[in-house]
Amino acid sequence: MPGNEVAVTGLGLVTPGGVGVGPSWTAVLEGRPTAAVDPALEDGPVRISCRVPGFDPDALLGARRAYRLDRFTQFALVAAREAIADAGLDPETWDGARVGVVLGCADGGPETVERQHHVLRDRGAAKVSPLLLPMQLPNMLAGQAAMEFRASGPNLVVATACASGATAIGTARDLLALDRCDIVLAGGSEAMITPLVMAGFAQMGALSRREDDPAGASRPFDADRDGFVAAEGAGVLVLERTADARARGARVRGRIVGYGATADAHHMTSPHPEGAGLEQALRAALADAGAGPADVGHVNAHGTATPLNDLVEARVLSRMLTARPLVTSTKGVTGHLLGAAGAVEAALTVLTLEQGRVPPTANLTRLDPRIDIDVAAAPTDTRADLALSNSCGFGGQNAALAIAAA
Amino acid sequence: MSVRFEQIKEILVNNLKVTPEQVTPEATWEDIELDSLAMVELSLMIEQEFGLEIGDDELLRAPTIGAMVGLMEERSTTA
Repeated sequence: MPGNEVAVTGLGLVTPGGVGVGPSWTAVLEGRPTAAVDPALEDGPVRISCRVPGFDPDALLGARRAYRLDRFTQFALVAAREAIADAGLDPETWDGARVGVVLGCADGGPETVERQHHVLRDRGAAKVSPLLLPMQLPNMLAGQAAMEFRASGPNLVVATACASGATAIGTARDLLALDRCDIVLAGGSEAMITPLVMAGFAQMGALSRREDDPAGASRPFDADRDGFVAAEGAGVLVLERTADARARGARVRGRIVGYGATADAHHMTSPHPEGAGLEQALRAALADAGAGPADVGHVNAHGTATPLNDLVEARVLSRMLTARPLVTSTKGVTGHLLGAAGAVEAALTVLTLEQGRVPPTANLTRLDPRIDIDVAAAPTDTRADLALSNSCGFGGQNAALAIAAA
Repeated sequence: MSVRFEQIKEILVNNLKVTPEQVTPEATWEDIELDSLAMVELSLMIEQEFGLEIGDDELLRAPTIGAMVGLMEERSTTA
């Protein structure tokens, strides 16, 4: 759908690299892993995670506001505020009816659910907090953002598991193309590093067990990878139709020029063995952008560091992108932000093209010999002007974004 | 200020994050911006901290913080 591209005019990040785009990008570009032993998971089967350092919700949002928000909503509001400021927009003066919010998450607020489940079990139903549902419902992400930023346009939360953040950006692009609104706060947020959720991931065999070397645990495409490291955080992008953005003199940091959304229709958790759904999504995103595989200069891979994902994804990329663009997985640094991953990585892809620097895939010491793609092991200069950002979710959902330089 | 007032102020400030200066005997729920969800929380906290059963509907009917303190004092003498 050439001509329906949208401009990215603002970026906001809360990641294990830090609170803000600056510290997040620096950590990623330096290839500095953030995985560490997590005291909150002390009694669990896997005790490694990537936490956001120095996140003080009372200081960032005000105690009155923060205590009624689950952590996943706190992250999103902080990231959105940064993105809006970066876009040079002011919620006090914008036409809120024309501002939409499309955010994604995999799980809502399990921390709140688990805490209140303990109350139910130990003290009875009459002691359960009235804030249980208003805090944990997934759609509160967008609802709270609407209240915080006077955004009364289309407002929704999408759930495609670990593709949610990318699905949100693609859906936001479509809303802008259909003229449903003029500005969208699009992205994803996740805070699901809880004992119960981690027990579930561990039972699936999805997590890295490299507890003797936490910093080396998230190692996408490496021969010795053994699973992902769960991470938390949020990424929010301000999107506007490119013509509108240029007309108001906004700084265009990048453009979302294509979106492909597909389903594997194959298995609850395993990717299609040939990556058919992912390839279909990548081809759809490129067709949407009016581009072909040869135009792709860089790929920010899903690259979770699970044995199966990385193998299947690499097969799709080597089969489809014969010009061998440089691939990276920023999850080596950040871990897997789950429903926020697609949004955080879209933002990092915008930065990659803008700065002309491909961040390294941390912990890649020996490429899996079955993988035949070029993976960045060190920060590398690039002149690419078109990139793909891939996301795949449990359930078989795939979302691909074609992202172009400004 | 009564002991009860100080106790309720502590809950309002520490748990419900109301600004201390806002908590006066004359202040209404609207003044301190508490909604119906916060009233349920407050009711649960009063029961947990002081063993006093005062429903959120009763709290909402008390016109001021001072009136609510009166309700607590009344309830504690009959308890």
